[in-house]
Order: sequence, then C-alpha cells, then structure tokens
Amino acid sequence: MLPLSLLRTAQGHPMLVELKNGETYNGHLVNCDTWMNIHLREVICTSKDGDRFWRMPECYIRGNTIKYLRVPDEVIDKVQEEKRIDRKPPITGRGRGRGRGDEAGGRGPPRGGGRGYQEEGGSRGGGRGKGVGRGPIGRGGGRGRT
Amino acid sequence: MSIISGLEDLVDETISVITNDGRNIVGILKGYDQATNLIMDESHERVYSTRTGVEQLVLGLYIIRGDNISVVGELDEDLDSNLDLSQLRAQPLKPVMH
Amino acid sequence: MLFFSYFKELVGKEVTVELKNDLAIRGTLHSVDQYLNIKLENTRVVEQDKYPHMLSVKNCFIRGSVVRYVLLPPDGVDVDILHDATRREARGG
Repeated sequence: MLPLSLLRTAQGHPMLVELKNGETYNGHLVNCDTWMNIHLREVICTSKDGDRFWRMPECYIRGNTIKYLRVPDEVIDKVQEEKRIDRKPPITGRGRGRGRGDEAGGRGPPRGGGRGYQEEGGSRGGGRGKGVGRGPIGRGGGRGRT
Repeated sequence: MSIISGLEDLVDETISVITNDGRNIVGILKGYDQATNLIMDESHERVYSTRTGVEQLVLGLYIIRGDNISVVGELDEDLDSNLDLSQLRAQPLKPVMH
Repeated sequence: MLFFSYFKELVGKEVTVELKNDLAIRGTLHSVDQYLNIKLENTRVVEQDKYPHMLSVKNCFIRGSVVRYVLLPPDGVDVDILHDATRREARGG
C-alpha cells in the first residue's frame, strides 16, 4: 500500500499533521496531491512547545514541510476496500504496454559478473502486538519535545 | 536491484524506525514508496530517558515522511521480548544535523 | 553512478556506517541503491551502552541522506580500479 493512497483515502477524515518545525495542525483533510501538499479545514494549530493555539477555518501545507501525519486507524481498512472496487479487467487491444523487468542498466561502467540481489529467505511468524491500545486521535497539543 | 525491494520484506512486520528528530517509533510497516515515506500501523513511540525506564506512547496509524527517516530496522521479536525496557536508561538520540 | 557501483562491490563486507546523528552502526553490507540507501545485516551499534535504541534490531535500512561516513574494510578499495573509474566519470562516462 502506498502512503499517498492512504492519504488520499483519508480525505474527509480528521488528522494530525506535525511539521518539521514542530508545529502541529489538527483538521479535516479536504484534499492532497502527489507532493503531499495538503488542504485542511477547521484547523487548530499548536505551537512547537504546545502552549499556544490558533484556530483557522482552513489552511494549506506544503508537503515537504511535513514530518508525519497521524490518521484515524479505520482509514487503513478503507484503502483496501477502495482497491478491491477499483480493480478493473485490463483493457486489451489498446496501447503499447510497458516493458517490465528491465532494470536501469546499460549505463555506467561495465562490470563483470552481474550479481543478483537475492532476498533473504526464511519466513517469520509469531505473535505480534505489545498490548498497547489505540488512543483517540485529534487531541490538540503534541507531546512537546524541546 | 533497488534496495527499496529491501523494505518489501518488512511489510506486515514489526519495524523500529529512528527519525531525524531522534524519535524511536515501533509499529507494523503497512506500506512505503520510493521516497521512503512509510505507513506504520499500531505504532508507538519509545521515549528514552536517563532518569526513568523507556516510556511507550501510543501513536496509532502514522504516515511518516521519508525525508524525516534515518533508520528502518527489522525488530527481532525474540530479542525484543528479552529486553526489559523499564530498566533501560539512555539519552534520547540526537536529531540529525545536515 | 560511481559510488553506487563502488558500494555494490562492497556487498558482503563488514562496514561501519556513521550517521548524521552520531550513531554508528556496524554490519554486513547487504545492498545499496541509487540513493545510496544502505541495508545492513547482523548489525550492532558501536557504542551500544550509550545508544541502546537498536538493541533488538539485527537488520536495518539506512537512508542515504543521513549517512555521514561509511568506514570501509582495509581491503575494500582497489585504488587502481577506482582511479580509472574516477577518470572515466570525470570525462563524462
């Protein structure tokens, strides 16, 4: 699953965005693009130290200033639903199709004995889960770190 | 060839991420992309301190931007369950200085 | 591409990667990509007492952008080959 698909699915949902400068923004996601630029509505901005707040009807955030986004837990299940619905039979007889399995080779100095990148084998199973519950989302104020 | 296929192995596994601001976030990797943006589910932060043991803060579902990521580690569940986090004392990691 | 090619030759060797947050991680080089992201296996942090943050991590992916140094094995560089490759690169491939 791609992070940007999850973000797109989160449209209309509340979320918390922390910027690289430590400010956090709580609001509802209106829209986003492939650069992770986002448009929020009904926003509460919290200062880095967590003790000043600003309310604003909407705001735009440039993607590259974002540190992370906290999304409601249930959104991840909706992405899968969306994918399943979106799966269409391939259109045949049109287009040229793109080649596959063709690494960006052919440039750079020639090197002998191509070495494959084998994945390490061995499957891992076992119980996961540290017994931590999920907290509510969208409360103002980050955990202030100085 | 691309190492990005290296993260493929970690999807649905528990990972431990160190971010550029020095945080340590543990959770299940649900997805990633070329820019190392990550989706982490059931994530929590491990807060290190020299005075008390490691504190765990629940974070939930997170998208972490790739340019804020330093290290993505595969968490060895056996090693981790043998750790007594309440006894671990350490300085928080320094933020990355470019 | 030179460093990418160079690091690919080091796969399987022991290296120490020092990060821009002063953390130094030692391990076997598993793979590298075009961004010089590095994957290490069998890792240990050099000052483990000071940095116990990765005690339960044995394999990791390091983002190329946070690497300060890669400490190489003494036999990790064939100077002649590197010289040639550098000249070739300087000439534009």
